[in-house]
Amino acid sequence: MAVRRIWTHEEIKAAADGNFELLSTLNRRHLLQGGAAIAGALALGPFIPGTARADIGGEVSLFTWEGFDMEPELKEWREKNGVTAKNSTMTTQDDVQGKLVGGSPVALDLTEYNQAYNKFYAEELGIIEPIDVSKVPNYNANDIFAGFYQGERWYWNNTQWGIPFTWGLNSLVYNPAMMERPTSYADLLKPELKGKITIIDDNTGTWPTAAIMGGVPGKYPNVTKEELATLWEGMKPYRDQCKSFAASNGDVISMLVSGDIAACLNVWSGIPFETAKQNVKTDYVIPKEGAVMWCDAWFTPKTAKNRDTALAYINETLAAAPQASLANRAVTGVVTKGAVPLLDEATRALFDYNDLDSVFKSAPMLGIPPRESTEFATYDEWVRAYEDFKTGI
Amino acid sequence: MDRQQRMGLLLASPSFIYSIIFFVVPTVLLFIYSFFRSKAFIPIPDFVFDNYIRALSSKGFWIVAWLSLKIGLITAVLSVAASFPVAMYIAYRSKGNLLLYLVLASWLTSYLVRIYGWRMILGSNGLINSTLMQLGLIDQPLEFILYNPVSVVIALVHIFMPFTLLLLLSALRDVKSEYLEAARDLGAGPVAILLKVIVPMIHRGLVSAFMFTLILASGDYIAPQLLGGTNSMTVGLLISNQFRATGNWPFGAAMAFIAFAIFALIYVVLIALLRAGRLAPHRRFH
Repeated sequence: MAVRRIWTHEEIKAAADGNFELLSTLNRRHLLQGGAAIAGALALGPFIPGTARADIGGEVSLFTWEGFDMEPELKEWREKNGVTAKNSTMTTQDDVQGKLVGGSPVALDLTEYNQAYNKFYAEELGIIEPIDVSKVPNYNANDIFAGFYQGERWYWNNTQWGIPFTWGLNSLVYNPAMMERPTSYADLLKPELKGKITIIDDNTGTWPTAAIMGGVPGKYPNVTKEELATLWEGMKPYRDQCKSFAASNGDVISMLVSGDIAACLNVWSGIPFETAKQNVKTDYVIPKEGAVMWCDAWFTPKTAKNRDTALAYINETLAAAPQASLANRAVTGVVTKGAVPLLDEATRALFDYNDLDSVFKSAPMLGIPPRESTEFATYDEWVRAYEDFKTGI
Repeated sequence: MDRQQRMGLLLASPSFIYSIIFFVVPTVLLFIYSFFRSKAFIPIPDFVFDNYIRALSSKGFWIVAWLSLKIGLITAVLSVAASFPVAMYIAYRSKGNLLLYLVLASWLTSYLVRIYGWRMILGSNGLINSTLMQLGLIDQPLEFILYNPVSVVIALVHIFMPFTLLLLLSALRDVKSEYLEAARDLGAGPVAILLKVIVPMIHRGLVSAFMFTLILASGDYIAPQLLGGTNSMTVGLLISNQFRATGNWPFGAAMAFIAFAIFALIYVVLIALLRAGRLAPHRRFH
């Protein structure tokens, strides 16, 4: 039996606004079939939760990874709703708690957390304000892939803490003009690549990758103190090959473009897109040992001042067109089903959207080391071991 | 207290109060914090020396501290040495301030732009390598000129030289040219004038310029990260990790105060050396 698809909030809103061009891009087939629905939407649109604009507008302060504020995708929406975005860029996930913890936390309206930081932020630090999902109607079971709807990383105790909006694999980016296509991390140990690789200085991705490369795959984030020492010992040959520890994605882009490095470990999949803008071709590969899955979720900190606008902003980022646009330019995954047909071929081919369960099974979304434990190495011990690794001890 | 003193106090009070509120009070709080214990971003009031013991017994801390200090010391020496002749020229030879403005012009660009600028100059396909390759002097880029402590020092000297120049120039303005002429009339040569007249008279400015650069260059963690290659760890980064990543503010505070103690020790030693060499008299000449 054919399942009748429910119209998304975005489609209803586009119809209510008479924005048929946008509506047609969202769902051309439904436009042809749904004249009656449009009529209904015209009448009901203003009463749909989240379409009310009385509380939406003004400045919304964002703190996101470089290129993930979705500002270009939401330009039209922002102009229409009188929303101005004040953006700042994070270089590690730790920057977020750095701003939100302490005696004088920064008043951010919207920021993001890596899936690993969920309970740490919500329960230990208490910096997340639960989300009123009725104000984010695009986040619903029909439109969002099951793996991203109310999953354990974003929803527990009957409370929505975060809204996932982008995901992907951190892996290896290389310059084909400077080296052969690597199939294994070990390929980076070739003598001719000495001083030609870099490791990005980001705990959330580098630590689990180090666990894979350093000889304790499948154990992160719960590794014993002995295993912690073993894995960083196993990483030393890679350190010896390094030119530097890159400070950020922007830093990696700069080094690849200048020809200072041939490859970077555990890095954002959108790097090739960015280097191509500067006429340098780089490629993204997943070595046979595997890569690290990540998923970033929006959240509104307790310090948020323009919360309704922040929630409306989240809602818009989940619409099909913005989702597809972000994924196409950042080479990431989408969480909205309707975005898949809008993806370019290469981006769509990154993941099997018909079987995401298998994708998550092969590259699970990992947590972070425990803050306190007698059995496993703690986060603090990981930081110290990583500092020692970088120092060359 | 006479009227002039009262006026002086009144004029000084805004910056004095500002310093009390935004420097002295936070510093005292940080010092108190350094004796606390911590649990994931929650400082627990206590009076323990664990944080100091942990830092002082860490091999990594000492290695990183030495690397930071080495970068700071070399940067400070080079910055002061490079700006001293320029300051002398501006103070006694130049008729205008054009040279001063040219040196200060680098302030018109941001810190990060200057760091990335150095990367473009020193990089594999940067200005130096490209020029040398086009001239046929090398056939492969010189890899050793970037991503090591040398490139960090080059960039930091460029960043701090305007500061040291201003401090030295300010000190030299008080050394009137008549003093130098008098010394010459009494038979002193250039070295004697430098060591017996100029340096003793500007020693405070000299020490200020040196310590200012030493402290800021040793604590910098952006330039080492972007230019320092795998030797990019600095004490600043270690402290930053404790405040941002692990949330162990007491431990971060303890490391900050150990660094402070090291700088204070260097200051004391420097002053003692200058006095031993009769380069830093106890009294002011002017």
